[in-house]
Amino acid sequence: MAKEEVKEVAPDITCQEVAQWASAYLEEHVGDERKHQITVHLAICAGCETYMKQIAIVRDTVGLLPKWDEQPSDAHRLRQAFVAWVHRSPSGK
Amino acid sequence: MNVDTSLVTKSTHYLSGADRISVPCRIPTEGNRDNVLLARLRQGDEGAFAELVTRHHSALIRMAMGHVANREVAEEVVQDTWIAVIEGLERFEGRSSLRTWIFGILIHKAKDRGVREKRHVTFSSFEAVSDEGDEVIDPSRFHQTGEWAGHWALPPQPWDDQTPEKLLASQQAVNAMNRAIESLPQTLREVLTLRDIEGVEAKEVCEILKITETNLYVRLHRARERVRQTVETYMAGGSSAV
Ligand SMILES: [Zn+2]
Repeated sequence: MAKEEVKEVAPDITCQEVAQWASAYLEEHVGDERKHQITVHLAICAGCETYMKQIAIVRDTVGLLPKWDEQPSDAHRLRQAFVAWVHRSPSGK
Repeated sequence: MNVDTSLVTKSTHYLSGADRISVPCRIPTEGNRDNVLLARLRQGDEGAFAELVTRHHSALIRMAMGHVANREVAEEVVQDTWIAVIEGLERFEGRSSLRTWIFGILIHKAKDRGVREKRHVTFSSFEAVSDEGDEVIDPSRFHQTGEWAGHWALPPQPWDDQTPEKLLASQQAVNAMNRAIESLPQTLREVLTLRDIEGVEAKEVCEILKITETNLYVRLHRARERVRQTVETYMAGGSSAV
């Protein structure tokens, strides 16, 4: 029993695992122990550090992609529907 | 919302930039802003309705397109969604955020429409991506055996001083990323759209899509990895000599 507990403490984490956990790590969705393992690994592994950075760049860039600046094709009808609803319903909260 | 802290401590020139950029783009108060809108909507404020539509329309189209055959049908589904939102405003109880509620209506309508129109296609594309399995990243990039098993055989090459801003300055890169996002399977595209493009909080994404947080991160990472591969290919092509 005690042996198993010892085994569980900080086994080595591979690059493949770090890469797999990258998004969960960036979003703080990993347990403390795994977080520690990954943090330690990133400090000594250039490949994983690069990978982690690239995932972060992708995350941020995707959020900044130009949005389709668009309106519904039938915006007028929607407005009318809204106005009709306002008139139908007892106004105010 | 301090998503970046662990990376910030490793501070590099990119990360300081990311820190600066990610603040406005993540819009952490989106849900709250919606709730302010809700009060105005209920008072019959037309401007508030226009604002709501402007804010969410393109994301709704993007979400709808994963379920239906084409853009025209997606437009119709979104239009129907807005009508349903108007008609449901009175009944909306605010147990979820306004945005969660709207996206919930959209997904319901889009799935329904998709099932009616192209039943088998929709279902197969749903089943196509499993949350199980380890191969998020091409396994051939890692040593499979020996002392270095599980370590990079082909590590990613640093993108030098690439930042979101620099990537976005290249129309080619933007097009490539958009194409990569469009070609994602629906289950991956919807998490990327909600979480990374719209900046919806993880918990709310799970609520909208009715998935667990673990599933969310698995899918999100698969989606990001595919986009990363696209950028990687773009970078390799851009630097001509190899
Ligand atoms: Zn590594």
